[in-house]
Amino acid sequence: MLKAPGWEMSIVWYFFLGGIAGGAYFTAAIADNFGSLRDRSVARVGYLLSLPLVAICGVLLIADLGVPARFMNMILHFKFWDPMSIGAWAVGVFGGFTFVSSVLSFTSSDSLASLRRKISLVGMLFGFFLAGYTGVLLSNSAMPFWGDSRLMGALFLASGASTGMAAVALIMFLSGGSAGEGWHKIEVADRFSMIVEVIVLGVFLALLGSAARPITSGHFGPLFWGGLVGAGLILPLVLNFFGGRVRALGAVSAALVLMGGFILRYVVVMSIQG
Amino acid sequence: MARTLAMFTDTSLCIGCRACQVACKQWNELGLEVPEWTGGYQNHAHFTDKTYRLVRFVEAPGAKPNGDLAWLLMSDVCKHCAQAGCLDACPTGAIYRTEFGTVNINQDVCNGCRYCVASCPFGVVSFNEQTGTAKKCTFCNDRIHNGLGPACAKACPTDSIQFGFRDELVAKANKRVETLKGMGFKDAQLYGADSGGFLGGLNAFFLLLAKPATYNLPDNPKLPQRNVVVDSLLSIGSAVLVGLGAMLAFRERGKGGR
Repeated sequence: MLKAPGWEMSIVWYFFLGGIAGGAYFTAAIADNFGSLRDRSVARVGYLLSLPLVAICGVLLIADLGVPARFMNMILHFKFWDPMSIGAWAVGVFGGFTFVSSVLSFTSSDSLASLRRKISLVGMLFGFFLAGYTGVLLSNSAMPFWGDSRLMGALFLASGASTGMAAVALIMFLSGGSAGEGWHKIEVADRFSMIVEVIVLGVFLALLGSAARPITSGHFGPLFWGGLVGAGLILPLVLNFFGGRVRALGAVSAALVLMGGFILRYVVVMSIQG
Repeated sequence: MARTLAMFTDTSLCIGCRACQVACKQWNELGLEVPEWTGGYQNHAHFTDKTYRLVRFVEAPGAKPNGDLAWLLMSDVCKHCAQAGCLDACPTGAIYRTEFGTVNINQDVCNGCRYCVASCPFGVVSFNEQTGTAKKCTFCNDRIHNGLGPACAKACPTDSIQFGFRDELVAKANKRVETLKGMGFKDAQLYGADSGGFLGGLNAFFLLLAKPATYNLPDNPKLPQRNVVVDSLLSIGSAVLVGLGAMLAFRERGKGGR
């Protein structure tokens, strides 16, 4: 009797890439502000990754509208209690931060670098927002499972963190930047995020109980347990502990985390819209 | 705001003629749809972007006062909730409340994000692929602003659908429930008439002859946005945890900064 909104693959991709963009940016901001000069490679990769991703997010979001030409109607209106409304605003504002941070990531001037660090402390808040608000958006709908879950936003945020860090780590590995201590630090940070994600997911499922059935059993069950919990969280967490010494294992771990992050958005969005 | 207008649908008077459904289609120029087999006389199965009024045909074993199978008919419609999930969800301001208390979608503003579709506790709001916008009952906004009642109420031959001021209709509905109870319909009850009840009351409310669940209506529909603060705080908690994790990982040990 309830009606599904018909949000499909473009929204799955939006949630996934938005999580990475937010996660990569706030990781970069933290590395930039609290790390050493040698961590600047991490910060630069994070800033430069978040910029194109948030641009793609904007395109996906607009293209999925029934009347894309009226996208601006979302910006002309503001409702602070409405995730869809502040979400549309935040994508735009965050896009601006990723652009400025990316440009400033090339500076060699100390004063500009200091400015970049200060800007990123504010932009970081929008990064966190982008990673988590999509879950709050789903959990504040009338749909079963989505509307029953109090931790959807927390889960998406933890997943955004782990996938954002994994994406940065994977790019560092592939571009040969994995030699320095920045690699080790991003691996450790990703490990923290994965642990938070595992805990949040456990509480999420426990609180939902039978309401979680759309993802834990039936058609989507194997993908959830095998693809997300097994191959997308537990396995990469184990591999991550060896990633400091055997870098290839760290890279495999990062790739699995990204896969798990996608599967999470996929099963959550698609399972109840059959 | 003008005095709140309402529609009172007394299902005990409904004969299932579907004059309301046809009048709605004609006045609002809603197009044809491919029918869906429902296993009974009901057509269509659900509210759609082209069906705003829908007569539900419910076969309820044992629901008659003498214990026989009851043939329950209910002309269903958008409830025009006093606390409307669709209205709160709309990011463009396309969904608005009129001065009469009804909820309407401005078709020139809606950009088709479909959050209202997912936020309606009754599955009323529907997406139209042709216009790319969300559609639902307008409470015949054009008619009520010109001194006419909604087309469905006008067409109803048994006064099962009544249109008027909300306070007057609620008083009438309460009397009708008492009459029906006296006749032996022990489950006769109002749905959404109480403005202190769920969703602040419905401006299209109903008299039912059985429990709401029999009509596939939620017993206690809730505003989807009621948890937005809790969910946001929990997300912030998650952000603090992963943020602290990253700070621990990146901090310069013993140097206190860069």
